[in-house]
Amino acid sequence: MNVIITTLLFAAPEWVRTAITRERQPNVFWSEYVVWPLIQILIVLFIVLTVVAYLVWVERKVSAFMQARLGPMRVGPWGLLQPLADGLKLLLKEDLIPSKADQSVFTIAPIISVVAAFVVLAVIPWGSTWATIANINIGLLFVLAVSSISVLGLVLAGWSSNSKYSLLGALRSSAQMVSYEIGMGLSIIGALMFARTLSLNGIIEAQQADRIWYVLFQPVGFVVYIVSALGETNRAPFDLPEAESELVAGYHTEYSGFRWALFFMAEYTSVIVTTAIAVTLFLGGWTLFGLESRITPVAFSIVVAVLLALLALLIFWRGVMGEPPSIMRTVGMAAAALFILAAIALAVTHPFTEQGARVLFSVGVFAGKILVLIYAYMWFRWTWPRYRYDQLMALGWKWMIPAGLTNIVLTGIWFVLALPKPQGVFGLMREQAGRLLPTGKGIAYFIATAFVLTIPITWTLLATINRRTRDFNLAEQRQLQMRLRRERLEKQLQKGARESEQAQV
Amino acid sequence: MAAATTPAKRRTLGQIIRRLLLIDLFKGLALTFRYNARALYEPRDGGNPLQAIYTEQYPKELARVSERFRGAPRLNLDPENGASLCIACDLCAVVCPVDCIEVGSIRREVRDGDKVNKKKVLTTFIFDTSRCMFCNLCVEACPTDCLELTQSFELAVYHRSGFRWDREMLEKGINYVRYTK
Ligand code: SF4
Ligand code: SF4
Repeated sequence: MNVIITTLLFAAPEWVRTAITRERQPNVFWSEYVVWPLIQILIVLFIVLTVVAYLVWVERKVSAFMQARLGPMRVGPWGLLQPLADGLKLLLKEDLIPSKADQSVFTIAPIISVVAAFVVLAVIPWGSTWATIANINIGLLFVLAVSSISVLGLVLAGWSSNSKYSLLGALRSSAQMVSYEIGMGLSIIGALMFARTLSLNGIIEAQQADRIWYVLFQPVGFVVYIVSALGETNRAPFDLPEAESELVAGYHTEYSGFRWALFFMAEYTSVIVTTAIAVTLFLGGWTLFGLESRITPVAFSIVVAVLLALLALLIFWRGVMGEPPSIMRTVGMAAAALFILAAIALAVTHPFTEQGARVLFSVGVFAGKILVLIYAYMWFRWTWPRYRYDQLMALGWKWMIPAGLTNIVLTGIWFVLALPKPQGVFGLMREQAGRLLPTGKGIAYFIATAFVLTIPITWTLLATINRRTRDFNLAEQRQLQMRLRRERLEKQLQKGARESEQAQV
Repeated sequence: MAAATTPAKRRTLGQIIRRLLLIDLFKGLALTFRYNARALYEPRDGGNPLQAIYTEQYPKELARVSERFRGAPRLNLDPENGASLCIACDLCAVVCPVDCIEVGSIRREVRDGDKVNKKKVLTTFIFDTSRCMFCNLCVEACPTDCLELTQSFELAVYHRSGFRWDREMLEKGINYVRYTK
């Protein structure tokens, strides 16, 4: 017995061991770099995959509600078991490989996409202290580098299918993803100037120290990032690879069954990743106005208990009340009662440690922010119509990239102007623990410059660059060509007439 | 062609502001969000066009039809004594443009108090719902309000012969299998 406990303790992560034995051990390699990360990886993968499955359900529900429909209702109450049924269906479907396809590449392509999407999850700062798998100091660079690899998956999928639809689709989507990657890379630099670190946790801590979310310093950067992220993850209004109302399909035309599902898993995972990065960079990550470091176990238990009670009420109000007696109704009642009991138990016993409560709270805050952004993604998807391909490229190259560059230049100027006195002009920052922090006035100054100066200047610049873009309207463009041609011909005619007159004279 | 959309032509100040602030995009977002929010709190009332969710979950909830909908036929019975109201006058069969009604009758002596009347009595009534176009002519021709087209619309059957409704079906209605899931 003792041996087992010692072995377990040997492999246990640092904080567990210190909590149990109250002493530090010198050799932490296995526990810190192998066992504990593995546990974290399993937890994160499990949660993310479940969330991905349910995102599909949420997306279907949201789209249905926005279109006066009900969405999935048949599998389980409110269609809650639909992801399960979908997964089962995709698993059982025939797994076709076209006979002329390059078989090995065809098999590898979706795996590349999915792995590229999953690897990034390792550096996402899900919460404070131990809630990140790998807190590396080049986190953001790692994210950008690894998520770009998913383009390779698309290109290989399109090419190896040996079908013109797939190939053209792959060309389109890789061009799209590559161009939006540039806008994305440019849009984050403004925020990096303030954070002065590439570590994702470092960026969040910088916002904590600055007492501000960088979205207020960087509204242009945020908008450019969100638009580029939509383009990068192939979400509507840039979902040309899928475009179910127009195309057969894009690069995944020849894919079926589980391989096809892998592509969609990759897509939804990268939705989670891009929103997580947006939350980290611009929305303060897992911070919530300083609450995350002040919350006590009791307060946290009460918050969770209230949430559980609300859930129980929701189940009772929408699912149980007024339903005819059935098994589902009994199950719903039992679930509601269970949630209420759990809520009461939590509120009474508040079983969290100080640190545990804080970390769980920060994880909850982070998840909440991500979910809000994902809802916005879905909202955009089911509201706005899809871009045409040339419009998409024009938006990427003629709007997003110039906007990102302008933002960098302007932010740089405001930043240099605000440096402490000897170098800067206004002296609205002070140095503290090796970091430059904006003073109270400095925060107001940065927000004001961002909203009052950066946005109008960027708009004017973009309008100037794009003044000859004819509203993306093909009919207008054709009319314009015809008008120009007519004017040219008329001029020629007049010239000819004049010449003949002169000749006669 | 829509005027004032080419940059070459002048835009009004209002149009410029709309474009700068992306007003149209936000209007669209507001609309979809309104629908989404209403869908969450409104009580369900499938098929009501004023509701945020229009869907009727058909086999579970019966679909709504208009008041003037003409569906499955029915032969009404006298509510007092349960006898058929039909007097076998054959008017419905005569008026039907597609000949889908067949009224079978016999002449019989019927005792009415002291007197004994010779009277036509209904024996069979065949109504072919596969040929009927629900034009309501037969209902209007019927002198005793016996024949009626009801609001029931579930007329599908597994075999063609099922479309020929006999007197019993017409009086009692079809025995549907009700799916509640
Ligand atoms: S509704 Fe019209 S078609 Fe049908 S039985 Fe009556 S008269 Fe004939
Ligand atoms: S018209 Fe009316 S009463 Fe006359 S036969 Fe037809 S159903 Fe009977």
